[in-house]
Parts: sequence; structure tokens; C-alpha cells
Amino acid sequence: MALAPWVVPKREFGGVGYLLTPFGAVNPQNLELPATLGLGWVGAAFWVWVGLMLAASLAFLLLDPRSRSRTLYALGALGVGLFALEAVLFYQAVNAANEAALAGGAPRAPLRRFTLSLGAYLGFFYAVALLLLARLQLPGGKAFLVRYRGAVVPVVSLVLSVLVGALLILVLGRVPGVEGLSLSLREWIALKLDLITFSFQLLFSPIYTLSGWFNSLQQTTPLIFAGLAVAFAFRAGLFNIGGPGQITLGAIFVMIVGVFMPGPGWIVLPLSILAAALGGALWGGLAGWLKARFGANEVVNTIMLNYIAASVLLFFLASNQQRFFNYTFYLPFKAQGFEAKSLELRPEAQLPLMINLLAPGGEFSWALPMALVAGLVVFFFLRRADLGRRLLLTGGAAILGYAVGGLIPGPAVAGNVMRDLAASKLNGSFLLAVGVLILVHYYLLRTVGGYEMRAAGLAPKAAEYAGINLGRKIVLAMLISGALAGLAATHYVQGGVMDEYRLKQSIPVGVGFDGIAVALMGQNTSLGVALAGFLFGVLRTGGLDLSQQLGISRELVTVIISLVVLAIALGGLLPRYFTDPLKAAQVETEAKDEEEALTKTQRAS
Amino acid sequence: MNEIFTLALLFSTLRQTTPILLTALGGLFSERSGVVNIGLEGMMLFGALAAAVVTQRLEVPFLVSDPNAQVWWVPWVGLLAGAVVGGLVALVHAIASIKYKADQIISGTAINLLALGAPSLVLEYYYDNSTSSQEVVNRLPLIPVGSENLSPLVFLAFLLVPVIWWVLFKTPWGLRLRAVGEHPEAAETMGVNVIRTRYIAVVISGLLAGIAGAYLSIGFLNQFVKGMSAGLGFIALAALIVGKWHPIGILGSTLLFGFASALSIQLTGRNILPVPVVQAIPFILTMLVLVGFIGRSRPPAAVGKPYDK
Repeated sequence: MALAPWVVPKREFGGVGYLLTPFGAVNPQNLELPATLGLGWVGAAFWVWVGLMLAASLAFLLLDPRSRSRTLYALGALGVGLFALEAVLFYQAVNAANEAALAGGAPRAPLRRFTLSLGAYLGFFYAVALLLLARLQLPGGKAFLVRYRGAVVPVVSLVLSVLVGALLILVLGRVPGVEGLSLSLREWIALKLDLITFSFQLLFSPIYTLSGWFNSLQQTTPLIFAGLAVAFAFRAGLFNIGGPGQITLGAIFVMIVGVFMPGPGWIVLPLSILAAALGGALWGGLAGWLKARFGANEVVNTIMLNYIAASVLLFFLASNQQRFFNYTFYLPFKAQGFEAKSLELRPEAQLPLMINLLAPGGEFSWALPMALVAGLVVFFFLRRADLGRRLLLTGGAAILGYAVGGLIPGPAVAGNVMRDLAASKLNGSFLLAVGVLILVHYYLLRTVGGYEMRAAGLAPKAAEYAGINLGRKIVLAMLISGALAGLAATHYVQGGVMDEYRLKQSIPVGVGFDGIAVALMGQNTSLGVALAGFLFGVLRTGGLDLSQQLGISRELVTVIISLVVLAIALGGLLPRYFTDPLKAAQVETEAKDEEEALTKTQRAS
Repeated sequence: MNEIFTLALLFSTLRQTTPILLTALGGLFSERSGVVNIGLEGMMLFGALAAAVVTQRLEVPFLVSDPNAQVWWVPWVGLLAGAVVGGLVALVHAIASIKYKADQIISGTAINLLALGAPSLVLEYYYDNSTSSQEVVNRLPLIPVGSENLSPLVFLAFLLVPVIWWVLFKTPWGLRLRAVGEHPEAAETMGVNVIRTRYIAVVISGLLAGIAGAYLSIGFLNQFVKGMSAGLGFIALAALIVGKWHPIGILGSTLLFGFASALSIQLTGRNILPVPVVQAIPFILTMLVLVGFIGRSRPPAAVGKPYDK
């Protein structure tokens, strides 16, 4: 904390900044700050934190666990408050300085990029850690953490990956704007720490802007499909690493239907979406069938199918004529020109952009929100009905809501929102992803088929004795898993995110691998997949800024995502009772006994 | 057709077999000790990266005076670096699967994913380029055999087959290793250190995969290219199954896959079959052979199961 930059009041585009640490400024490029900027409190804030830490250490000397916990709670709350106070002071000071400069005739605000930095963040994390420690002091504290292990393990894993990522930046990142300068050790440490902080600020920066949200949601769409595919297979006890191949096949199928199928949009669009699912299902199901019929390991086979799919894609897009021995075949798929891409999809097969669904012609449309509300209302009122009828009526209500909502005039949408939404290329595939997410959730948790699927995954032998046909379940699970992955192709081919409504050889099928991280991080639950998908969507969006501003390869995001996979495989380096359900149950029972014993002694006294 | 089946095809087969054979022999140690190593592909890539970068950085001072300077020891240090880095990555897998009892498939997959992204960071740092390294001048030397040249690593790979057979089946350590993979509890009772044996076996698999990677980047080619192993590590895993976890069997199965790769290279550009079809041959063959060998090939009994004392 003493060496880290506390606040960065000014930063240039390339990452060069004016760093303020508790013991003076580090300013390699001699950036000028407005004289009116009042940041003298930074040094004082540091000493307040030191006092807080001393008090927290002393609190551990208290003998009674309850008063120890109470003190720690108070100190933690104080710390969070202190952090909030620092944030308020900092942003007020910067705004005041900017306003003073503008009032003084400056053409634009002198301070445009400014943030709190590592020193301040560390205080916040410390305060949160104190709150957690306070909970741990009370009886049942450990069991409290173990009960929420579904969230604890992914969060700790993410923290570990971020730390390793920080280490990588430390080694492989270059501090901008310091070539040829002689730096003291203190300055060097501060600059390196700032580089790490700024890198992660950039990675997470999409959260702070509306356009960042749109872009992140766009990136989230294929991650949800890919993550669901892996999670679904995991639930059935299978490991599907074939996402890339399944997406490729889905993309080829969607391209064939979208380019060549005549007819009105209300037929072609659903059919082309189904084609994407079918292509993926074919590729996933093949691996499933080989496992069920011959016992061939699905892991090796899905990987082989990835490579074969890449060849199939090349077959369709590399050239319009192919030679088999002495015969020459002509293929109608490739578009004219140097680049390997297909013909353009017919307009009927293109998914609408979200901007056209949410705000056609610049006016907010009530269609989608009405559909959502109508669907939810019907869904909750029909709690007694059986699932099939419930879903059918919900769908009907949603369509009705969409139609009615479309007729209601809405307010105009601000221009910048329209621009950001259009630029993000967020498209109908996102709605599809959300819908599929909910369907999979209900299939797995609320239907007999889904129950059998999970049983087959948890205890195959027991499931078989209970009368479940394992072979059939394996094939079905891989069919569905493949179909889910294949649907990601709708985003790339029909959604127009690759600038054109075509299948290109550069389709980023590697997202299928990221699905593994999404599924693991999301603990194979639907909500988890959605959250993890969004998190990685944010990181992938932020990765673009990172490479533009700091010249650090955006592959850093891929590295962090794969580190998450490793960290979760390691159980977040947490004790075994966080990962082993049997040991977790043991911890909870012990905690219960402990609490009972405590209440008994209290009653006795 | 006959012009395809020439002596050149034989040599090409040997060259293509080498990385698969080295990696599969490595995987043999790991799996015989009871640890599935699906991360071989990633270890190969890290080895290839380390070999190319170390060789390139070492030769820079010598190239100042003569841009074609040949320094005999430079590529060998690069090879060593490839092996060591492969071994270190394997150590990560070993710690995950032995100490933390992680799911071995997921841990290996994480390493493979890491090997797709992490090299870009290193390449960006040294070469301002995220897909390939600068070409090296000092490749591993070639040994002339008749009209063709072969890398010494080709000889190493084929020599390792009898050596490893001897180590596994004729030495006490080999017996212990196999016991650990078949029945770790029994081995422990007989005084074998299961944990240490598994660590050593997994690290050896990484060393050999790293050497295979170095063969790709400074033996076969002269630079590192992102994702250059192109599935060879996975094919090596399949070769392990088809070769029934036995060195001689692995020799046969890797020769089959090497031949398929060599054939696919020979057919490319001959306008007989479409190039994409030709490129898919090794992978399709792998799947077909795998399906044919299921049931006839029995893995070590304790493979994939974490050992709990």
C-alpha cells in the first residue's frame, strides 16, 4: 500500500500517467496537473488505513469470539466507509479542478482519464476481508463459507487467475513512456504496479459504459451457447471439448439453409436456426454414438472431430471446384474473390439486430418488454399446470405481448444509445441464448428426462440399475450438447457480427473452448453460465482496449480464462471440504453440533 | 499412383512419426503410473516455443558479425530449454492431479488452452507479433542418410523404444511404476512411494513432449508458429491406446499415424483429392483405428484416479 499508486488523476491515451502515492508523486513524463486539484489527503488516508490495520490486529487479542467478531465487523464497515469517502473526495476534487479550468477559459477539461488506483483498492479488499473474517470468528463460520462453496470456489479461482495474470504483466508488460529515464526503485515499483492496475482497469472497463455493456453482451452470446453445451454434457457425466467442431458444422448448415432455402422469413429463419442446432447435434451426436456403441472416449473423439470440422469448412469455402481423382466437382458455396467466405445469406435468413427489435426507427418499442412481462405473468400464474402446458401458454402469451406491444407508441431513444447499440452488433441471437438458457434449466431440473440425465451423470451404475438406458442417454446428451454449441453459429453467421451475413473461414470457433471455462466457472448451473459468460464477455471486450492502449496482446484474456479452468480444477487451492460434497456435509454437521452445544451451555448458565 | 510410394515417402514417414512417437512414449510413463495426461499437446507447444525463443535469443550475438553463423551448441541448448519447459508444465499438471487430486482431464485441458494463448504474450514481448517467432538460423543439425537427411532426434526417438521397453519391463523401477498404475494401494504396502513415482513419471512425459515440440520448431521447421503441433499430441494419446500402453505397440501405432501424415503431405498439391480431405486423413484414421481397438486394449487399472492415502 505504501508503494502502490493511490490515485491517478491524469493519464494519457497510451497509458502514461501521473501517479500519486502516499509518499509523493511518480510522474515520469512530467504531466502537469491543475494547481487547484486538492489531493493532499492521500498521505493522511494512508496513515488512517495503517491505524485500521493495527486495530484489526489488536482485535484478534480479544478472547471472547463474539466481541472479537463484533469489533472486526465494525472495523470492516469502517474500512468500506473510508474507501467510499476516498472515492467521493477524489471525484469531487477532480470535478472541481476541471470546472475551475473550464471557467478559466480552457477549451476542454484538463483531466479526462482519472481513477482511484491500487492503493485505494487494496484498502477496500482489506475491509471486505475483515468482514469475512468477522463472520468466520462466529460459530459456524467455516460452514457458512462451505455452504456457499458454489460461489466461493469460482470467485477464489478468478482471484488466483487474476493474480497470475498480474504476474505475467509484471514480467512481459512494458511500462509506457519510461525509455531512457533513470528511475529509483520506488518509482519503478510504483510504475509496474500501475501498469498492472491499469491493465485490469482496462479489462474490466466495459462495465462502466453503456457501449461496453452492449459490446460485452454481444460477446456473451456465443459464450452462453458454448458454456451451456459443456455444462450440459458435464451434467450427464460427459466432457465435450468438441465445441469448435460443433460450431463449425452448425455454421455450415446455417449457411446452406440461409443461402439456398427460398421462402418467407417466418419459415426460413426458424429453419436456419434449427439447421445450426442440427449441424452441431450431428457432430456431437457422432462422438456420443461412438462412446455408447463402442466405448470410445468422447474426449479424444471430440478433439479429432474439431480438426476434421476445420477441414470440412475448408472444403466448402476454399474453392469452387474440387477434384476427386479424375472427376472435377463444382461447389456453389464460395463467394467470388480472394477471401474464403460463402455467398451472402438471403435477407429472410438474417437475424435482426437488437437495435431493430428494441428501437426500430429510433423509437423505443414496447414489443419485447411486453412479451417478457406477459410471458412471466402467465408463467407464474400457471404454477399448478403441468410443465408442457405451462411453457406452451407462456410462449403464447409472450407472442401476444409482442404483437400488442408493437402497436403501442414508445418514447424516442437518445442518439448516443442508438449509436452504441448499433455499433455493438448485438443481435437476435442474444435473445435466443437467453431463451435456450431457460429451457435447458427447466429441462434439467424440472423434467423426468432431465432428472434421468443428471442421475446418469452422477452415478451411472445406479442409474442403470434404476432402469435408465445409459447408452441412449449418452447419445442424447451429446446430441443436445452439440446442438447447443451449434447454435452459437447463429450469432456469427446470421447475426452479422463478422461484418457481413456470410460464413467466413475466420469464424472464431475457439469460443467453443472458452465454453469449458464458462461451464466450470458457472458450476454447470444456468445462472452460473450466464454470469460467467457475461464476465468473460466483459474481459474479451476489455481485451481490445488493452491491446490498443498498452500493446499487451489481447490473448492475455485467453490466458486468464484458461487459468480459471486450471484454478477450478485445483479447487481454487482451497481445503478439500470445499470441493468434496461428502466432506462439505461433514463440516456442516460439525457446525450444527457446535452451535447446539453452545446454546446448551448458554441455557445452563 | 506409384510415384507417391517412393523412398521419399519412407523418410517422410520417419520424420512425421518422430514427434508422435516421442510424445506417446512420454505419455506411456504418465499413464502407466496412473495419471492421464491429455495436456501433452500443450506441453509440446510450450516446448516448441521455448526451444525457438531460446535458440533465437542465444544466436543473436553471433549473427552480428556473420548473418549465417553456425554455432554448434546453440540449438542443443534450445532443445534442452524445450525439454525443461515441457517438464515444468508437466510439473504443474502433476501438482494439480497428484497433490490437489484435480480432475486430470480438466487439468490437462487447461494446459492445452493455456498453450493456445500464452505463447502470444511471449511472442508479443520479443517479436511484436502474436502468431510466430523470428526464424532461427541455427537449427538442429541433420545427419545425411543415403540421399536424404534426418534429424538426430529421429534416431533418438526410435532408439528410445527399446530403452524404454527395457526400463519398464526389466528394471525394478519399471516394475514399481507399473504397479503404481495398476494398484497403488498394493504398491504402497510393498514400500513403493506412489506419490514420488507419479511425479517422476508425469515430469518425464513432459520432458519428452517438450523434446517433441523442440523437434517441430527447431528441427523440422525453423521457427515457432502458433498452434504448430496441430493435434499431434492428441494423436499421440490415441497411439497410446492403439499401442496398448506398450513401447513396441506404440512404435507400430505411431508409424501408422506417421505414415498417414506423410501420405497426406505427399498427396497435397497433387490434385488427386481435395486438399481439405487429404488434411483430414490422419484425424479420420485416428478415430477409425481407435474405435477398432476399443475392448482389445486395456488401460492401466488405476489410470485417472487420484491416489488417496
